[in-house]
Order: sequence, then structure tokens, then C-alpha cells
Amino acid sequence: MFHWLEKHPFFFAVGVFVVIAYAGLIEIVPNFAQASRPVIGTKPYTTLQLAGRDVYIKNSCNSCHSQLIRPFKAETDRYGHYSLSGEYAYDRPFLWGSERTGPDLHRVGNYRTTQWHENHMMDPAKIVEGSIMPAYPWLFKNKVDLDTAYAEQLTDWEFFGVPYNKPVPTKDGGTITVKMGKSVAESHALALAEAKKVVANMHNQDVKDAVARGEIPEIVALIAYLNSLK
Amino acid sequence: MNKLYLWGIIIAAAMLGATYATLGYLKNGLNGDIINILAIAGAAALVIITIFVVIKYVRQMQVDQASGELADESWDNIGEYKNPLPFGWAIMFLGTMVWGIWYWTIGYPVNAFSQIGQYNKEVKTLNSAFEKKYANIKGDELVNMGESVYLVECVACHGLNADGNNEKDAADLNQRISEKSVKYVINHGSNNLKSAYPGGMPAGMASGADVDKLAKYVAGGLKGEKPAAWATCAGCHGDNGKGQPFVAPDIAGWNQKFIVNILDNGKKGAIGKMPVMDRLNPKQKEAVAAYVMSLSEGE
Repeated sequence: MFHWLEKHPFFFAVGVFVVIAYAGLIEIVPNFAQASRPVIGTKPYTTLQLAGRDVYIKNSCNSCHSQLIRPFKAETDRYGHYSLSGEYAYDRPFLWGSERTGPDLHRVGNYRTTQWHENHMMDPAKIVEGSIMPAYPWLFKNKVDLDTAYAEQLTDWEFFGVPYNKPVPTKDGGTITVKMGKSVAESHALALAEAKKVVANMHNQDVKDAVARGEIPEIVALIAYLNSLK
Repeated sequence: MNKLYLWGIIIAAAMLGATYATLGYLKNGLNGDIINILAIAGAAALVIITIFVVIKYVRQMQVDQASGELADESWDNIGEYKNPLPFGWAIMFLGTMVWGIWYWTIGYPVNAFSQIGQYNKEVKTLNSAFEKKYANIKGDELVNMGESVYLVECVACHGLNADGNNEKDAADLNQRISEKSVKYVINHGSNNLKSAYPGGMPAGMASGADVDKLAKYVAGGLKGEKPAAWATCAGCHGDNGKGQPFVAPDIAGWNQKFIVNILDNGKKGAIGKMPVMDRLNPKQKEAVAAYVMSLSEGE
């Protein structure tokens, strides 16, 4: 074979290219794959959080808010540790954004609370003086679309191998298991149970009543999602 | 004519034809724009030149005969000509050697630029500058620093007037504690400050009308007549409300340790949950405490 290659410069060049490209691949790809693995402490989204993420995208929150903290002191002082690529392992699609009309939200769950989000979505200018963020009162009325969120979750689990119903390591050295319903009904029940926990810290009576009736307003899912951003 | 040239002409014609057809298919074609026309003409010229240069070299490989004086040695019947090394190659060969030495000694990218390295350096520089500049900050300067930290970190919930939007979003910091909070703590107990006061406070230390009276008394800054039930509170918080280390916090007024403790641990109370604010540095926490204390001193 080598004799043959020596006599055919064109195929020799192709061979050289293939060898170097392969060497490059085995050097670059494993590192790249390692960096995109989930960071310890990154959890898959629950059905309710995924539904909240859909609300986030539906209302174009990502047009004004980024989810990417750059490694500058000015940013890490304000938003927390700079973002790592593995933290987006369960984001499909990721919501990095390149526009910051509002602040970054990648770790908003660390420094804002349920009732703050509740008051803020109703009338941002009242909570933060001078805020130009519009109000989102319809989030308190519209019901969240759990079926789509569950369909996404099933795809994540079956096709992308997202570890639902499996222990995932946490930062403190333990593990946590994020549950995914085996059926549509079970996923609804799980989402409702989670919604009840969120609503316990909310004030709006209409939202509380709706959850008690078994309906989930969009605001509850959105807050569950925002609280999960850590 | 050689077959190769024929192929070259066919490929060039096909590519130019395809370009022409695509342009005709576009709604406005070249639109009479001189830049577009120049770009297309340039692209066409590049295609033609590339094809014929490639053909020239392929042809050379096909027909060229090696020539020159053979060296005396023969390795397995493979001869070698005595041609001098082309000048360009010689330069590149020497250059590679020089580059190789440079790369292994100086150039190897161990100490090269990295984004995170730059970030760590930036943080270190700014932190040490901060520590140096504010090592002995006190008094009004500390309060001013606290105010600027407050305006970035705390204002979102506690508001510009520090009243937490009438205690809807957060505690009113213009007073030590509100009636609402006192009632909540009496009814629900408190274990927010476990690290400083490990015992916590049990729920239901008072009940009925006593709760209202106590709330009014404590929120009023422990002024006026003491309610009868105050004796229960005084057992831990002291008769003057100043508290005791490891037992109960000061409920008569703010103090720095108490505020820093809340910043470090967060808090759950009558209004809701306050998140942990431990990303502030120790000096900034002191400053926030000084600012919060200054709010109620002014009155």
C-alpha cells in the first residue's frame, strides 16, 4: 500500500490530510465534549420548569435578558460566578442572548425570590424605580401548556438521554433525582405538586385559587423556572 | 488538443453558464450595480484562472521528465540527482529549525493569554486595590459606601425609601422591626440566625391580646409602659431588649453583627424570604450594616 501511495502523489496528499485531520479530531473533540458535559450541580428541568421556560421564550424575555455571565469582575460582582458551558447541558435551545436591555438572568434564582417575581411581573416600575420593563399581567390569567412541556421532556429523556428519574450529583456531594412522569397524567400531577410549593410563597389570591382548583397559571411555571436558574 | 484542456474549458463554461442562469433567475439580476458586476467578473476570472493553473500543473506531472546529473550512489536502484536544494526550501528548512527551538523554549503556549486567566488577574488587582483603599474606612464614608452597595444590591426589594414598598416586598429598614414581624415571630418562632443563636426561638411564647401589646411595644422601640407579658421576652432578650450572645439577638436596635448575619444566611419572615447576599465582601457587608443603622438614627 505504501508503495502504491508513493507512486500516487494525489492520494498521498489525501492520506496525509486524513491522518492530520484524525489526529486533530482526537485531540480537540474529547476536550470539547468534556466542557459541554453537565457541571456538577446542574439539574434537568422538571415539567413545570420546562413549561416556565416555554413561557419565558413565548414572551420573548430572551430579547432583553441574556443568560450568560461573562468573566469580568463587574459582571461576577453583580450576577455571581461566570457561566460555564456545562451549565447549559440541559438547555434546548440555550438562551445566551446578546442583548441586555435588562440585567442578566443566568443566576437570578440566587438573589430573587418568588414573591419578588410575583410583584415585579405585575408592575415592574413599581418595584424597581425607573424600570422600563413592561408589565406582564396576562401571565396571572393564562394557563400554562404542560402537554408541550411534557412532550419536550420526553424527547430530552428518550432522544438526548437527559437523566430523569436518575440520581444526579449536587454541589454538596450528595445526589438529587429529578422526577419525570411516566404518563401525561402523572406529569400533570407532579407539576401540580411543584406548583403548590411555589404558590405557598405567593400572595395573589386568584393564582392561589387556580392552583387549588388544579389549574396552573403561567406565572407559577415562570417563577419555578426563574428560581431554578442558579 | 489535450483532453485536459477540453475538460477545463467545459467546466469553466458550465460554471459561468450556471452563474449566468442564476443571475437571470434572480428578480433584479445584477441590478446595474457596478460593485455586483465587478464581483461577478472577479469571481469568473478566479474560476478560469484556478482551472487552468491546476491543469498546467497536472499536465506537468504527467509529461515532465526528470533531468540532471545522477549521483554515484544508488539505494536499492533508486538514483538521486545532484541538483542543489532550491533556495526557498533551504530558507524554510532553516526557519523551521529556528521556530522549533523558539517554540519549545519560549513560545509554547503555557503562559499564553486565557480569558479566565485575565479574569482572575483582574479580580485580584481590583480586590487588593479595594482592600488597600478602604482598609480604614469608617464613619460617613462607610455609610456612603453602604448606600452605594444598597442602591445596587438591595434596592430591588427594599426600595429607594428602604421601606420595602410598604413592607409588601421586603422589610422596612427605617425601623428595627415592624408590628407585623413581631407578631409573626411570636406566632411562628424563628430560627433564622442559627449560627449566631443556636437555640432559635420557639413559637407561641405569648398568645391572645398579649401578642398585640407586645408587638406594639417592641415595634415602638421599647418605649412607654412595659406590657405584662414582656417578662417572658426579657428572659432571653434582656429587660432592655439588648439580647445576649448565643441566646437571643438585640431587638431594641440594629447592630452590625446582626445585619451581617442576615446578609450571610438570608431570612424567612412575615413578608417572605430574603435571599442570601454572601457575594458582598466583608467590608461591603459592614458598610451595608452601617447604612441600615444610619437610616433609623436620623429620626
